[in-house]
Amino acid sequence: MIARPRILAMLIALVLALAGCGGVGNDPSGDAGGKASLTTMGFGLPDEHATARVDVYRKAHPDVDIRINEGNFDEQQFLSALASGSPPDLIYLDRNKLGSFAARAAVQPIDDCVKRRNVDMSQFRQGTVEQVTFDGKLYGLPEFAQVRLLIMSNTVLREAGLAPDQLSTSDWSALADAAKRLAKVTGGRVERIGFDPKVPEFLPLWAKANGVDLVGDDGKTVRLNDPKTVEAVRFTTDLVAEQGGWSQFKAFKDGFDMLGARNQYVTGQLAAMPIESWYINTLAANSPDVDVTVLPFTDRSGTPVTTAGGQAWAIPKGAPHPEQACDFMVTMTATDTWVTAAKARRDALAKQNKPYSGTYTANRAADEKIFAEVYDGQSNKIIDAGVRVALSLQDKVFAWPANPAGAELLKVWESAVNRVLLGQQSPEQAMQQAQQEADTAIQRAGR
Amino acid sequence: MTTLALRRPRRAGRLVSIMALAVVAILFVYPFVWLLTASLKSRAYVFGNSLLPLPFAPENYVLVWDKAPMLLWMVNSAVISVAAAASVTMSSAFVAFGFAHFQFPGRNIWFGLVLGTMMLPGAVTMVPVYLEWNALGLANTQVPLWAQNLFGSAFFVFLLRQFFLTIPREIFEAARVDGAGYPRIFFSMALPLARAGLIVVFIFELKNAWTDLLKPLIYLRDPNLYTMPRGLKSIIDRFGLGGEQEWEVVLTASVIATVPMIIAFFLAQRYFMHGLVTQRTSR
Amino acid sequence: MARTTLRRTETRWGYFFLSPWIVGMVLFTAGPMVASLLLSFTEYDLINEPKAVGTANYAELLEDPKVGTAVWNTLFYTALHVPLQIALALALAMLLHRVGRGVSFFRTVLYLPVMTPPVAMAAMFLLLLNGSTGVINEALRFFGIDGPNWTTDPAWIKPGIVIMGLWTAGSTAIIYLAALSGVPEDLYEAARLDGAGAWQQFRHITLPMISGAIYFTVIVNTISSLQMFTEAFSMFFGSNIAESSEGDAALFYVIYLFQQAFRSLRMGYASALAWLLFLIIVVITVIQVRVSRRLVYYEGER
Repeated sequence: MIARPRILAMLIALVLALAGCGGVGNDPSGDAGGKASLTTMGFGLPDEHATARVDVYRKAHPDVDIRINEGNFDEQQFLSALASGSPPDLIYLDRNKLGSFAARAAVQPIDDCVKRRNVDMSQFRQGTVEQVTFDGKLYGLPEFAQVRLLIMSNTVLREAGLAPDQLSTSDWSALADAAKRLAKVTGGRVERIGFDPKVPEFLPLWAKANGVDLVGDDGKTVRLNDPKTVEAVRFTTDLVAEQGGWSQFKAFKDGFDMLGARNQYVTGQLAAMPIESWYINTLAANSPDVDVTVLPFTDRSGTPVTTAGGQAWAIPKGAPHPEQACDFMVTMTATDTWVTAAKARRDALAKQNKPYSGTYTANRAADEKIFAEVYDGQSNKIIDAGVRVALSLQDKVFAWPANPAGAELLKVWESAVNRVLLGQQSPEQAMQQAQQEADTAIQRAGR
Repeated sequence: MTTLALRRPRRAGRLVSIMALAVVAILFVYPFVWLLTASLKSRAYVFGNSLLPLPFAPENYVLVWDKAPMLLWMVNSAVISVAAAASVTMSSAFVAFGFAHFQFPGRNIWFGLVLGTMMLPGAVTMVPVYLEWNALGLANTQVPLWAQNLFGSAFFVFLLRQFFLTIPREIFEAARVDGAGYPRIFFSMALPLARAGLIVVFIFELKNAWTDLLKPLIYLRDPNLYTMPRGLKSIIDRFGLGGEQEWEVVLTASVIATVPMIIAFFLAQRYFMHGLVTQRTSR
Repeated sequence: MARTTLRRTETRWGYFFLSPWIVGMVLFTAGPMVASLLLSFTEYDLINEPKAVGTANYAELLEDPKVGTAVWNTLFYTALHVPLQIALALALAMLLHRVGRGVSFFRTVLYLPVMTPPVAMAAMFLLLLNGSTGVINEALRFFGIDGPNWTTDPAWIKPGIVIMGLWTAGSTAIIYLAALSGVPEDLYEAARLDGAGAWQQFRHITLPMISGAIYFTVIVNTISSLQMFTEAFSMFFGSNIAESSEGDAALFYVIYLFQQAFRSLRMGYASALAWLLFLIIVVITVIQVRVSRRLVYYEGER
């Protein structure tokens, strides 16, 4: 009985020692064995587009150890890393948010870095470069460029007696009627969504379609309470209200297998919605035979219009290895790297018997090469139609310059639209409040 | 006559109770069964409520390890939980012995403070304690997740004091007369005698540390340092709502995070129930 | 003489054994509380030095609509969760008590949910509670009831979380079970001979005899409900989910405190928030203690 506690005590001591090692042993910025180690935040390695490009860099720089902390970019996580003096070397984030960090000097300008490496910035699509430029300085290199387009289920449309090309976002009252006809709501339960306007995320697109830019060319005026913005909010939230109301609508949407073989188009849970162009590929890969039509999203006069979503690489202030970080982002966005990645992606998909729908980047030269050399016209009809539409939209892109309060703005209008969706405020009230919040945020960021 | 009359309704009562409990038991077990079967379905079928894992996708349990460093998180959690449990058990027993065995001025005041801090909401000191660890340069490490336990925890001090109070003081006094020092008395006599209590404390804290989310959220930034719940939260963010919608990953990871605790529970069930009862009756 | 030496040694050894706890209390409780009070009068973001701002944080706190929302959500949840949890636990305990042999099987089953990590539980219930595909509404539909949208309708989010909480009533039930087994059987026998019915026995014997246990669990459950964090945070807050899509219906006090401190890095404001929470908890606990003095039956006071 007396011998036992000693063993226990020893065991405990051992555990404590082990725990101590576990805690201290993982120094996040440690350069192991003289090798510079580059850490990234916000980037992931979901497919060959990512892995093949990282491999290109690895091959060119065997002396650098890359540590990719996978997961989406978490703004506050980044800020607290910055605050505690241990920022990563690179961040990968939505281009719309970059302005906030540039205004706070949380990221550094990269004009020098780009100049010294002779990067031809004119290769990049102009809209995407504007998104990463703040106060005349370049703060990031743009990556993908995803246009937005409409995808609709022919089966559902025909069932409702509508021809697919009849449905468009040009005539709003016709769209509202069609949505009501296509939706299936029985006894308060949503069984099919007719048309999902994708608000709050797509509000800028709807506002643009109604003739107003949410953010002005100076990057400092916002037009959230503009009557046309309010009209867009009212129209889109009414669409949702007419199709079961937000709570029902959202709960139903949460059950979609968006990225799987039993997605909403296959199951007939949805008739139509606008979405980013990558979805064409997902759809073709998971359900190659689903009968859909792809069309551009049009403004009220019928002209195609789209935002170009996508991420950018940027270097935080105080990054331990800015030179290597610059090499890395230049390599990741270079034409040849993209072409290599596109090939790898195509081949990997081919191995799984899945079609490849092209790669859409902010680098025009890369896109041209990819669609000339890598993409080889597919037998899949979703992709055939989709690629044509996506390519036709590439130069119809509207973008606004980096905004000093980009990240806050996003929150401001998203929660304003949410308040309307939940019936807590009228569109006017919500957008009026949003305008005030946005003005304050911009003022605070600009001081 | 009377006993018979009294007994009959009671036997019927027992049957009704068992039936009612059986219904409740089914309701309580249902989520587990559902979780387990859903984690074995392929992606699109996770939303269905069928309890048959069809289409059967056991590969979820192979793939999930590639989706996230689950094994690493598991090891992190195991190490942290054991460190937290071991240190709180030792330190609380140490302090509890002090309260139970010695009589000295001020003891009751200190004990009153122990009872007082027991009721103190942890959220109140969350910010300054973080600032302390940050000042020590330990904010992005796993140390704050367990090191505070080296100083005992009010509740466990209280609980173990009850255990020590049940041991006759004379036993220790006899050893004292034989020339043993108090540290030795504590380690070689008091601890073994309070073994049941120590196990209760150990297991309670093991469970607390294993399931805690708040502290890892506050302190851990590097995903390689994550504990299982923190990792699981990042999986929910990434593969769940608004993310990549790979719910089968979320559910499979949930099962993996739960299983160790269920096993621990079955191994130590006897002590667990005992601990809960002591928690109450000792008041 | 020898006596005082003995006493002095006792004192010295007593403090020797108490020392870890005293050090810990100063480092992790008393010190932080003082620091927190001082911080609450400053603006501090970890990057720049703390700046004294007087009572600005407290003034902001009174005007911040989110504080009002968070307090309301938290009180509403606590008022719903604690009584329901305790009623269910009591019912379960009484059933368990009557089972006799075989009780350990049911006890185990009822306790299992308590072992589930709350994050895993949250992930699971997010699907179980889903308004259009979840099993809970499917079951309700079976009875002809159109269930609400537990995860998307702001009015039903908190009740949904309460339902999830009922799943862990086992831990409280076990405590009541122990208390019930301590009630002398002859009290019931006597009551029955006096012709007392089941309800009267429950009202006049069971309840008073286990009132101590109920008192204890009410206080502990209330304090932990007021600090609700993990389940709601796992379900409705994250880097990816539009954090306001449910209109802040799940914004509990500690979640807001956490966001202010560790997301917005407003340490001063968060400290002021912490003191408000402390005040709320103290007031509620004092009320509970006062009320219990009239209702709780202590064996010693016979």
